Amino acid sequence: MGRIKAIIVKEFFHILRDPRSLTMVFITPLVMIFILGYSISYDLNRIDAAVIDLSQSRLSRELVKAFAANRVFVVQTRDENSPGTLSLAAAEDLLRRGKIKEFIIIPADFSRRLAAHGQSDLGIVIDGSDTNVANLVYQYNERILLEFTAAMSGVGPLLKIDTKIYFNPEVRSQFFFIPGLAAVILLMISAMLTSLSIAKERETGSIALLFISPLKSREIIVGKTIPYIIVALLDGLVILLFARFWFGIPIRGSLAVLLLFALLYIIAGLSLGILISTSAPTQRVAMLATLLSTMLPSMLLSGFIFPIDSLSPVLQAISYAIPATYFLRIIRGVILKGAELQHFLFEGGMLIVLSLVLLAAATRKFNRQRKAVQ
Amino acid sequence: MTAAVPAIDVRDLAKNFGHFQAVKGISFAVETGEIVGFLGPNGAGKTTTIKMITGLLKITSGTVLINGLDNRKHLALIKKKLGYMSQKFSLYPLLTALENIEFFGGISGLAPHELRSRMSLMAEKVAPAVLKQKIQDVSPGIRQKVALFVCLLPDPEIILLDEPTSGVDPEARRHFWSEIYGLKKRGKTLLVSTHNLDEAEYCDRIIIIHNGEIVACGEPEALLRQERKANIEQLFQDAIQSHGQD
Repeated sequence: MGRIKAIIVKEFFHILRDPRSLTMVFITPLVMIFILGYSISYDLNRIDAAVIDLSQSRLSRELVKAFAANRVFVVQTRDENSPGTLSLAAAEDLLRRGKIKEFIIIPADFSRRLAAHGQSDLGIVIDGSDTNVANLVYQYNERILLEFTAAMSGVGPLLKIDTKIYFNPEVRSQFFFIPGLAAVILLMISAMLTSLSIAKERETGSIALLFISPLKSREIIVGKTIPYIIVALLDGLVILLFARFWFGIPIRGSLAVLLLFALLYIIAGLSLGILISTSAPTQRVAMLATLLSTMLPSMLLSGFIFPIDSLSPVLQAISYAIPATYFLRIIRGVILKGAELQHFLFEGGMLIVLSLVLLAAATRKFNRQRKAVQ
Repeated sequence: MTAAVPAIDVRDLAKNFGHFQAVKGISFAVETGEIVGFLGPNGAGKTTTIKMITGLLKITSGTVLINGLDNRKHLALIKKKLGYMSQKFSLYPLLTALENIEFFGGISGLAPHELRSRMSLMAEKVAPAVLKQKIQDVSPGIRQKVALFVCLLPDPEIILLDEPTSGVDPEARRHFWSEIYGLKKRGKTLLVSTHNLDEAEYCDRIIIIHNGEIVACGEPEALLRQERKANIEQLFQDAIQSHGQD
């Protein structure tokens, strides 16, 4: 126990006295969450649209007004460079140059056909180069046109829909992304802490003195892991507080439950870091390997951005081996839905399994590496 | 009557790094209580050999016996007998000298009272104020003293010092060798690698290694007489030249 205590004390001194470690632990996550929190978003705050109104009737103007009345639409009906109605060629040019997301073509007989047949054609061309935006534009169009049709027919909507969105009433994508970001960043920082710590010992040669000492490999790993568990938990807490008070993300569930699961998640991350460090001769290699093995799978395969169900079967299978897959569900559940411990028995169990597997693999590889040089 | 077992017995020791042969089947022995100087230019194979003796580097072929025990079979037991000071001193730069000593004492399993009494010995050699400075802020001479002290914390019987005097001033070197003599008087066995040829005079015997091969071995005076050389530097130059420079 005394030997492990000696390592723990030494690691704490190193963390607290190294400005680079402190920056990495407490500043980097906040900068990342700040930048990514604002840049990764499904929200669409502005849709620039053009209308080619060939009808120039009262009804066509009503339709244009319906679009313009929506807070996200900015509608233009005139060509900036030439007088008169916007031409098809000019609208296509605006779409190609990315000045607008869609253009609407109101045919010349729009009013007449509506009056005569109660139905008219309407052309809409959407920029499909960004599928997310195209889908959102399509949904906004549908809603506006449904309301317009109901108002024009004079019967009103058949169904009076009263939709309530639980957990995120304003449907802010930050509510979805920021807890996920917290999970991704926590895994990266945890793995980085141990991988760099061991790689640094290797670079400076001090690992030789640890290897030649009576220390057992598991004592080195336990001694190196315990201080970083505390540091990473503190880091997680700082990230959560930042999310709460800067981005206004509510924490509806128990912080204690979240920290309990975070503990398992951090152990998995720290073990992954040790595993990486056994193959990394320098700190630079350790940092690159850690970034690649934590950020990429956690961002792409864990459900952080894309739903796991939409992944190919092979990638779905891989996602089960990623700790972020489980912690993402937990953190989103606890933070947004106020879910409790018993709701995450499977995820918690999987985190325990992954932590134990990674810890055992790290200890085994570290031990084998130590023996390989002897 | 049986002959005494050497403290370090190296037999046909070789180390390959891929196709490069760093140590080429060398054999030598260090008797208990001896100071043996391991001399050679940079890249001669001194550090590689010492690392194989300590068990830090895997042996390609040959054997290392420590007090008659094979270091590949009895490493845990052998570790208790060995003290090792690495070329770079390998102390933790952000820790003070005292904290480094406490750390290495802690991982060696020294009891707190034992560690305290050892630390009081260190305070006699280095001013307490200096001991409270971070290792990155002290002179190479102090770093060397701390590194040697750390190496001796578990009270090892056999001490391997890898270039302990590189980068330190002549006064610190002189002081260092007086410490080494003190250790010899206490019956310790020492293998000291160096590329400072003038340090050969402090050794009971010297081994000159070049390109992974031993090119001369014996008592300094006897070697000078035998080879009819005026000084160690001449002996060293002729020895490595006669084996060809790469």
